[in-house]
Amino acid sequence: MLEIKNLHVAVDGKEILRGLSLRVDAGEVHAIMGPNGSGKSTLSYALAGRAGYEVTEGSIMYRGEDLGALAPEERAAKGVFLAMQYPVEIPGVTTMMFLKSAINAQRRARGEDELDAVAVLKTVRKKAAALNVSEEMLKRALNVGFSGGEKKRLEILQMALFEPKLAILDETDSGLDIDALRLVAEGVNALRAPERAMLLITHYQRLLDYIVPDRIHVLAKGRIIAEGGKELALELEAKGYEQIIKDAA
Amino acid sequence: MTAVLPTRRIEEWKYSDLARALGDTGFGEDSARALVGPIAQGIDVFSLDEPNRPEWVKAQYGKLPANSVSAVSLAKARGGVALRVHKNKHVEAPLALDFAGRGHVRALLVLDEGASLTLVERCDPSETRNAGFEIVLGRNARLDHVRIAPNSSAVQVEEISMTLAHDAQYRAHFANFGAKLSRLELAIALQGEGAGVDLSGVSVLSDSSHADVTTQVTHAVGQTQSLQLFKKVVGGGAQAVYQGKVTVMPNADGSDSRQTAKALLLGPRAEADLKPELEILADDVKCAHGAAVGDLDADSLFYLRARGIPEKNARHLLLHAFLEDAVQGIANVDLREMVRGAVARALDEVTA
Repeated sequence: MLEIKNLHVAVDGKEILRGLSLRVDAGEVHAIMGPNGSGKSTLSYALAGRAGYEVTEGSIMYRGEDLGALAPEERAAKGVFLAMQYPVEIPGVTTMMFLKSAINAQRRARGEDELDAVAVLKTVRKKAAALNVSEEMLKRALNVGFSGGEKKRLEILQMALFEPKLAILDETDSGLDIDALRLVAEGVNALRAPERAMLLITHYQRLLDYIVPDRIHVLAKGRIIAEGGKELALELEAKGYEQIIKDAA
Repeated sequence: MTAVLPTRRIEEWKYSDLARALGDTGFGEDSARALVGPIAQGIDVFSLDEPNRPEWVKAQYGKLPANSVSAVSLAKARGGVALRVHKNKHVEAPLALDFAGRGHVRALLVLDEGASLTLVERCDPSETRNAGFEIVLGRNARLDHVRIAPNSSAVQVEEISMTLAHDAQYRAHFANFGAKLSRLELAIALQGEGAGVDLSGVSVLSDSSHADVTTQVTHAVGQTQSLQLFKKVVGGGAQAVYQGKVTVMPNADGSDSRQTAKALLLGPRAEADLKPELEILADDVKCAHGAAVGDLDADSLFYLRARGIPEKNARHLLLHAFLEDAVQGIANVDLREMVRGAVARALDEVTA
């Protein structure tokens, strides 16, 4: 599904990722853990194609295609989804209007028929209920006045609606209390599927109590320095990043 | 009476070079027209080029303080219209007022005590024109005004001067899509306690269009309110101007004034000159003003694109969102949708 080889990414001329390699197959859930400044968000932005995140070396292959050459919207239409750490607030655009625009833009790009307002509403309602996203939230301006939990739930709702093949969840647990975290985790778990790969990017082990990954990679200074099964998270929690980084050196 | 057109040496005309835009022909000696209709019951109409003006026209016409362009239209216009809505008359259907043709034209609108009206003003973009428009709002009168100025390759100037009596309310929206030179000037005097104005406007400009909105609001007495929100999207080598001056007179305590002007520049040649200004001569007032010029938010643009929305559509959506809070205050649903439609078409052009 996703194969990253020797990836170097520079932001404003400064190299943040320095030779990162990673492989995630369909049906798998991988976690990338790392301390602040290790390059976690840079990786997620590079995968989604944000302007200013320049791949200077290496490659990102997604389903046999080089992602580096594609615009963010093309990646989205091909099934790459990034649940963002800080979803943006857009006053003047209702959540529903945004969802309809996004769904239909992706369908258009794939050569599928657009859905009319009624069909979109039906689909959204069905999936929104499971994530406790209310009608009232859908009518409000996108993310404006939403709590941290509401914003993250809306991100997961989009994931449920777009049905991506590769989902990257960037610090989805940040700013959530336990109840909100559980609700979001249930939403994510419900989307685990044999044809779908997921990449959880997180600082804390906490999220992984709820979404249990198949594999964990530790990111430090722009490279993967340790890899292992789900037990690696517990080791990290016990020893701390500093010790693991020392052990790896 | 001598009436001379302003030059850029006059501070208020610094950003709008009228003489240059007009060229040698000037506004000419022609008389433009003001077309109204349909006229509901309870509204008087008088054509200003006819003799024997009725008393209400004689009493009100040409009486408000005029700026230089308005003085010219007053001196030279032969055509125009005077309208009066009778006391306590609520006119349901919007009344259309269209300025058309070339040259100078005048209009007078009087709302007697307790009267209410929705006015939709459209400007014929095909000719160069100077319109002078006086509005007199009586006690407790209420005027909703929506003005749509389509893109024009001519020079389009309009001055609206207005007085509001006790508890009179004026809510206006000005949608402007630019002209060779477009100048809308509002001179508003809040003369009775409880009077209030709520002004909003959007401009979407491309190519070499120009749109200048200049407002002067005077809080002559206390317990008066003025709100202003103007938003501009400027592409190509276009120029948007907002100059807003709010004056709170001595003893006009309890005045409440807010003015906001924001512009998004879509390219290196686009220009926005935003100049909100406050002159407070009273003590106990609430006044705020602000102006900001910027570019589209990069985080928002990336967010939308990462959801599959192509860059052009994402820009369109964000520009729509930027303008929307100035449009959503239009009370009449049909007029609000009309403005939204015009804005969407202009945004198609500016993001093309």
